[in-house]
Amino acid sequence: MIEFQQVSKLFPNDETGQVVQALQDITLSVEENEFVCVLGPSGCGKSTLLNLVAGFERPTSGQVLFDGRPVRQAGPDRGVVFQESALLPWLTVEQNVDFGLRNLGYDRNERKERVQRFVSLVGLSDFRRARPHQLSGGMKQRVQIARVLALSPRALLMDEPFGALDAQTRDHLQDELLHIWEIERKTALFVTHNVEEAVYLADRVVVLAPAPDGIAADVPISMRRPRDRFSDDMREATRALLRVLANLPCCVLPSSRERGTDVLLPQA
Amino acid sequence: MERTVSTSPREADPGPLLAPGAAAPVLRAARRRPSLSAALVALASVVIPLALWWVIAALVTQMRGVPFPTPLDTFDRLLALVQGRLLVDFTIYRHLADSLRRWGLGFSLAMGLGIISGLMFGWSRLLERLSMPTVTVLQLIPGLAWVPVAILLFGIGERSTVFMIAVTSFAPIVINTTAGVKGVNELLVRAAKMLGADGRTLFLRVLLPGSLPHLLSGLRVGFANGWRVLVAGEMVVGTGTGLGYSIIQSRWTLDYAGSFVCIAIICIIGLIVERGLLLPLERRTVDRWGLARTT
Repeated sequence: MIEFQQVSKLFPNDETGQVVQALQDITLSVEENEFVCVLGPSGCGKSTLLNLVAGFERPTSGQVLFDGRPVRQAGPDRGVVFQESALLPWLTVEQNVDFGLRNLGYDRNERKERVQRFVSLVGLSDFRRARPHQLSGGMKQRVQIARVLALSPRALLMDEPFGALDAQTRDHLQDELLHIWEIERKTALFVTHNVEEAVYLADRVVVLAPAPDGIAADVPISMRRPRDRFSDDMREATRALLRVLANLPCCVLPSSRERGTDVLLPQA
Repeated sequence: MERTVSTSPREADPGPLLAPGAAAPVLRAARRRPSLSAALVALASVVIPLALWWVIAALVTQMRGVPFPTPLDTFDRLLALVQGRLLVDFTIYRHLADSLRRWGLGFSLAMGLGIISGLMFGWSRLLERLSMPTVTVLQLIPGLAWVPVAILLFGIGERSTVFMIAVTSFAPIVINTTAGVKGVNELLVRAAKMLGADGRTLFLRVLLPGSLPHLLSGLRVGFANGWRVLVAGEMVVGTGTGLGYSIIQSRWTLDYAGSFVCIAIICIIGLIVERGLLLPLERRTVDRWGLARTT
């Protein structure tokens, strides 16, 4: 469904003349209806990976295939949920959900029906006339989910969608997302730096290390859903991934690598 | 498959996701009731300049022996004109209507061209780099300096006046619209493209509303520029009617009170449009979209 073939991505900085290597030689594939979490320290190129599939960026070399075809531009077949609210502030919840439907030329009745269905699917019927600034962070993310689902995308691409939320809201939205995903099976690529989140959600967790290292681990999570956040299996899987992460060079603070190992040793 | 989804239980319990407070429509900050002292200050801000005008009028009349109209003289003249007395061969209504028409034409032209150019400059770095220096220079040219240009381009008459209004309103509209478009969050543009927006939708439903607060303040400045240049425009291009024309012409009949009336009308209409129309519109937009909080 989604395929990275030896993908590299460089970002030249016009001002300093330096070139930042975001991804180097990544080869990865995501199957149809698979829920894959990409896990890694900040600055390791996770978001770049997602932006390439979304069509916001082009690879410097290699190829990104979606459904067998190279990705050329952004489109409604790949619904993106952004970390911060990317809702149009001048439109109400309903209008935000309707925005894409209108672009795709759905007729009036179908638009109305879909808006209503997906707004209520994310539990925001009472807020359908509210504008984004009147909503809490969690509610905004639900609207983002609703507006892409309304377009029946083939894949959901999520870039730390719950990263800015408090823990409780995050847990709720994770459950909600899984619930929706179980009804509307879709290929899901979910970027996060939160290990528990990855283990809770994913069929498979891909650990990304900063370039030039690339994919450090590719771990299937076979636990049945619904998963228990506090089960031993969960804890074990989480610990294993933390161990992988601890051995990665960190792109932000070199010293925190040592610290991470220290914290983990007593548990191991 | 999606159609079979039962949605009711989820609707019933939105859970703790609804942050308290954030859920309720944002309470508008309670309007402060004007206190007595605030009212007095407001009153004084009108009375003091009027008193000053009166003093100057009295002094000038005394010392130079010329009849400098006092506020009262001006008000008397206004009443006479409102009752249909002629000012430079026409009623005050005719002058006002002609001035408004010229301004309306000039400003509409500037607004149309300015918004379109601003959207394009904001979108394309290349176009912006090519054109902005010219626009910046345009902004620096004083209104009166356009007189020879207007006469060369359009001869003496109506069209020259309209041109002068348009050309002086244009620059601030372009500059602000460009800034507005550039200030639109890149994320919104990405999201819109992802949601299948074509170029037209992107312009009309994302970039235009996104730049609206800036655009409106550009219109405000552009309006003021255009309205101010009205006098110069009508003065020199000899259009025969109009408030600006009357201000200059009334000196030949020594009807200084008449020209003061025109000045007052120009100020009052300017105030009404700016404070009563454009500024509230700008505030309302920012308020309603919650833009002040995010940008």
